[in-house]
Amino acid sequence: MTTIADPKAPRAPRPGPGRRVTRGNVEMASWLFMRISGVVLVVLIFGHLFVNLVAGGGVKAIDFAFVAGKWASLGWQVWDLLMLWLAMIHGANGLRTIINDYAEKNATRLWLKVLLAASFVAVVVLGTLVIFTFDPCPAGAAAGTLPSFCPAP
Amino acid sequence: MTATLEPAASTAVGEVPTFQVTLKIARYIPSDAPAPAYGEPVPAGTARWDEFQLTVHGTDRVLDALHQVKWDLDGTLTFRRSCAHGVCGSDAMRINGRNRLACKTLLKDLDPSKPITIEPIKGLPVIKDLVVDMEPFFASYREIMPFLITGANEPTKERLQSQTQRDRFDDTTKCILCAACTTSCPVFWTDGQYFGPAAIVNAHRFIFDSRDEGGAQRLEILNDKEGAWRCRTTFNCTDACPRGIQVTKAIQEVKRAVITRTF
Amino acid sequence: MQTHEYDVVIVGAGGAGMRAALESSVRTRTAVISKLYPTRSHTGAAQGGMCAALANVEEDNWEWHTFDTVKGGDYLVDQDAAEIMAKEAIDAVLDLEKMGLPFNRTPEGRIDQRRFGGHTRNHGEAAVRRACYAADRTGHMILQTLYQQCVKNDVQFFNEFYVLDLLVDHDLAAGQVPDHEEVNVAGVVAYELATGEIHVFRAKSVVMATGGAGRIYKTTSNAHTLTGDGIALAYRRGIPLEDMEFFQFHPTGLAGLGILLSEAARGEGAILRNSTGERFMERYAPTIKDLAPRDIVARSMANEVREGRGCGPHKDYVLLDLTHLEPAHIDAKLPDITEFARTYLGVEPYTEPVPVYPTAHYLMGGIPTNVRGEVLRNGTDVVRGLYAAGECACVSVHGSNRLGTNSLLDINVFGRRAGIAAAEYAVDATLVDLPESPAATMSAELEAIRTRQDGERPADIRRALAETMDANAQVFRTEESLTQALADIRALARRYRSVSVQDKSRAFNTDLLEAVELGFLLDLAEVVVVGALNRKESRGGHFREDYPKRDDAGFMRHTLVYRRPLTDGPAAVDGDSDGPFALSSQSDGYQLVLGSKPVSVTRYQPMERKY
Repeated sequence: MTTIADPKAPRAPRPGPGRRVTRGNVEMASWLFMRISGVVLVVLIFGHLFVNLVAGGGVKAIDFAFVAGKWASLGWQVWDLLMLWLAMIHGANGLRTIINDYAEKNATRLWLKVLLAASFVAVVVLGTLVIFTFDPCPAGAAAGTLPSFCPAP
Repeated sequence: MTATLEPAASTAVGEVPTFQVTLKIARYIPSDAPAPAYGEPVPAGTARWDEFQLTVHGTDRVLDALHQVKWDLDGTLTFRRSCAHGVCGSDAMRINGRNRLACKTLLKDLDPSKPITIEPIKGLPVIKDLVVDMEPFFASYREIMPFLITGANEPTKERLQSQTQRDRFDDTTKCILCAACTTSCPVFWTDGQYFGPAAIVNAHRFIFDSRDEGGAQRLEILNDKEGAWRCRTTFNCTDACPRGIQVTKAIQEVKRAVITRTF
Repeated sequence: MQTHEYDVVIVGAGGAGMRAALESSVRTRTAVISKLYPTRSHTGAAQGGMCAALANVEEDNWEWHTFDTVKGGDYLVDQDAAEIMAKEAIDAVLDLEKMGLPFNRTPEGRIDQRRFGGHTRNHGEAAVRRACYAADRTGHMILQTLYQQCVKNDVQFFNEFYVLDLLVDHDLAAGQVPDHEEVNVAGVVAYELATGEIHVFRAKSVVMATGGAGRIYKTTSNAHTLTGDGIALAYRRGIPLEDMEFFQFHPTGLAGLGILLSEAARGEGAILRNSTGERFMERYAPTIKDLAPRDIVARSMANEVREGRGCGPHKDYVLLDLTHLEPAHIDAKLPDITEFARTYLGVEPYTEPVPVYPTAHYLMGGIPTNVRGEVLRNGTDVVRGLYAAGECACVSVHGSNRLGTNSLLDINVFGRRAGIAAAEYAVDATLVDLPESPAATMSAELEAIRTRQDGERPADIRRALAETMDANAQVFRTEESLTQALADIRALARRYRSVSVQDKSRAFNTDLLEAVELGFLLDLAEVVVVGALNRKESRGGHFREDYPKRDDAGFMRHTLVYRRPLTDGPAAVDGDSDGPFALSSQSDGYQLVLGSKPVSVTRYQPMERKY
């Protein structure tokens, strides 16, 4: 005779009030978002991978100049911004779901979500800043590493 | 076995040879002390595994083996059962890690060379041995308004419904509320807040009934944070259903109905 | 101990109990006490259908239905009650449809109907389509629909409460209460399974709807929980039991297991065959063949086996042949029963015939009631406020043999009637004083069983009881076999007095409850056998090989069996001191006294029963 390995089974009912009724379409919106953003991300990510790794000179062509050149155009800025935001919301929402599914205690759940929100904000803010405040022609850089449109120092 | 019109049929009922099985049963004997707090381990000694060696027949079900234990070996073994042929839904339990009805699972179909583990269904508070508290399960069922909702005008005779309309929700009318699906769902295991497959299946039964007019209300209920959106389509419920209901499909149909209702 | 007060208490949450609760709860304060969760009740195992002369698919009327019911019951049916049932059947089906029951439909969208055993057009001309159905899950749908309505109406349930005693303001069991004296019901005593606590329910009306007692037999289609609790309680408290010798054996139980395969299979065209492949029912019922009433088919099957034409290595079953039916048709109309054959016997009904043999199925007898559901305490007087409906009651609409589908009808028609009558009575009635320490007897008995250290194992006694009932009181009965059965039962009852259980705990002690149920089974088996011994004729489900003919002159009456204390003088009751119902049978410490009740004959004089 051994003790049951999984002590979760015999347990008292969850304390506190029962299920709280939530109305509104938040969960539906989140569910739909996951599917739609998933499809969009497939296009964005594979487009990104193709342009960076296959087209032109292929993977060998990637350098500072290549990246700076891309971000000089508004189109690529929007592309990368969309990719950043969608991927981050998609991922964070997925993690939120996983926390809901696997964290048993309310306190654990709360703290994990706080942590998730904090890291989400940090990455999104930093990423966005980088895309928009990126300077393709930093002063003092060697001319060979800069994109061709930079004015000669 | 086979049954043919020739009198010399090869084998027959009761002639399937006997064999040995070992049952490994999760026991939980409630003490006078209050139940342990949520998430806390149970006190040592109240929960244990018991093993029983039995000689069984080829047509015996897991329920027959449990009866053999209870009636001949250990009368304290406690489980629910009634009809013994899979229509009342009393004896859902976790057999070899899978939710099934004990009365519908033949021992010969399990691997008799290894011990057959039998545990209570997961996610509901255990009362004693294989008996769990079904109240949370039925509470979710009651919340989705599991009854026909119609307008004021009652016909004098029956409401008309075509067989095609009738067939639309046939699958979900088979539910016997055994809880095998809900307690196979990992999302339900965590905190028991999710409505669970069974409640959604029973909502589906009315949402897709052409005579019913309460579909919008039920969809609103299942649009809840703990409603249909918590389904992760792991198909555990469909695998567990002893009635062969396409549970996951029903849940997906409910999700689609919520979306098409909104847009 | 807790005490509750209600206007109406309904015991049992199967079809009859919940149908009664739906009527009663809208009229007055009602509680339903059930030893199972309502949806576990055995109504859910009913398969084939529910007959009503809707005439949706062909010409039909309730008068034909009444005739079939009376003839099917071999004229022991109370014809006034049968007429009520056949008339109200139509509304009963329509009510269920309006509650949401998903019946199969005709091409016009009406409720579809199919053939069923013993149901004929124009007094026996040919089989008629009368059974309304939802695939082969009609009972499941009825149970679910009634429970859904109970949820809608917020009916109060006490689930997993076992009723242990029936409280009446007179000691009827002593046999001293004169006729016509007013006797009132006071309530019931129940045992909460989860805690072992005793609850007393005071009530103005009590409706017994506790179902059958098939577990007195070994081979049975009945659930493990069908132990006749309500019937036995009424009997122990001095109320007679009516026609208990009539037990229906359903022809098509899965051989060796007893699991039911609906008559709907034959309604859809399946055929019974013996070892030579012969469609033997042509010999026994030339007109309607396989769709003859159940008693005739069961007896014919048993006879084929007895005369050596059984199938299998032991020649102990016959075959139900569906192989000529289209698999698609089988799937549409009979999905569950074909799955039973696959799951439990490993037989594929599309291509192989299914081994079947009669299985104990339905108790025609029970607590005697009138058509309002009021319980009779002798041939005429009612116990005020006490009602019974469903299989535990004997109205009697089934006489000596119930027709298929009429049980689902019975629970709906008479469940509804009992619910209305109980509620209307309770509105004007007052609560009757409880006897002093109302739970004392039963809790003492319970404690004695629970705390007894060494004694008989309940399972051993139960197995022995079921064995002897199967061997001696089944389809074929003789004086000798019945005497043997009675001796066995009494010996087992003696052993039962020292029964003890291994589970000594209070919470969820099913070991203890099984022992209590065994006590009920022993009491009822004794009544069945004593009634069968006394009825020296063959009628419907009761076939005596030593008296193979029906004897209307001697036995065209309902049997009543009373449990009374032993007395020195004659023990006859209500004027049956001579004639065939004068038997009294002494057991240990009490005796079974027989009486009788006339059969209500309105339209149909008894005729020879041929199909």
